[in-house]
Amino acid sequence: MATELRFLVVDDFSTMRRIVRNLLKESGYAEADEAEDGVIALGKLRASKFDFVVSDINMPNMNGFQLLAEIKKDEKLKHIPVLMVTAEARKEDIVAAAQQGAAGYIVKPFTKATLEDKLNNILVKTGLK
Amino acid sequence: MHDVHQRIGQLTRQLHDSLNGLGLTEQLKDSVEELPDAKSRLTYIARLTGDAAEKVLNSVDQAKSLHDEIARETRRIAELIVKDPVAAVAKGHVMNFVTHVEQSSKAIDKHLTEIMMAQDFHDLTGQVIARVVSLTTTIEEQLVQLLIETAPAVSTKTTPVAERQHALSGPAISPENNPDIVTSQSQVDDLLASLGF
Repeated sequence: MATELRFLVVDDFSTMRRIVRNLLKESGYAEADEAEDGVIALGKLRASKFDFVVSDINMPNMNGFQLLAEIKKDEKLKHIPVLMVTAEARKEDIVAAAQQGAAGYIVKPFTKATLEDKLNNILVKTGLK
Repeated sequence: MHDVHQRIGQLTRQLHDSLNGLGLTEQLKDSVEELPDAKSRLTYIARLTGDAAEKVLNSVDQAKSLHDEIARETRRIAELIVKDPVAAVAKGHVMNFVTHVEQSSKAIDKHLTEIMMAQDFHDLTGQVIARVVSLTTTIEEQLVQLLIETAPAVSTKTTPVAERQHALSGPAISPENNPDIVTSQSQVDDLLASLGF
């Protein structure tokens, strides 16, 4: 089931960006770009249209929390759902992400089923599917 | 002999004063306290890379077995078709083969996805390695600074001690018995649900 949704995958590890992009492709979402930190991600988000962001938290230059805050305070970007996919497993980080407006939170290592499940829930909830 | 003891005493006092003067006592103490943590982080890396290798090899074994079976079946069906093409179709050999290949392809694709997912160890261990490197760099810088300060006056130029930055904790190395850390995705989901998300 191919759709026109465009994803931005943000992670400082190229292996993880590739894994997430491949999983998105297997789920029918082939339209994806990537960024290695929050600064590059924000630049790409402001330069062209994206429907969904999948972001790591622990990254150099601008981490996932800072990226999320920037997205949520930008009138043109704040509607974009942000799914955090991270190794940060502290409850306070999960709560902080939710309070800052993250659409979902996945702790690494994760399975293909988990990513598909969270993705579908968010897409349905936000009316993108 | 008395003179030697006196000189050792003076050196010890000088070292102690230098450590205190530089504020290194606390820093070195902190670094040394982090060493057991570094040890568990290295153990974590060994476990994760070992698990990933095991997963990949298991998936490769299973995918290769399926692949061999497809190759064998292909040769068999080819012989049947060459011998009697009409009978091969009429008796359902061709259709059975097509169904078998389709099922095996799906299973092989699943194994390939598992191999891909096993590569996530690169991200997780990379984060942990970065922390261990940071710790060893901190200790090295502190020791170099100490050497410079206590050595005979040749050069007093010092390297600034790297600022500690770990506001984020990275992968949970030993999450057991730590109520502040989640150990599964279902715990994440429960926590978010309790917050109304």
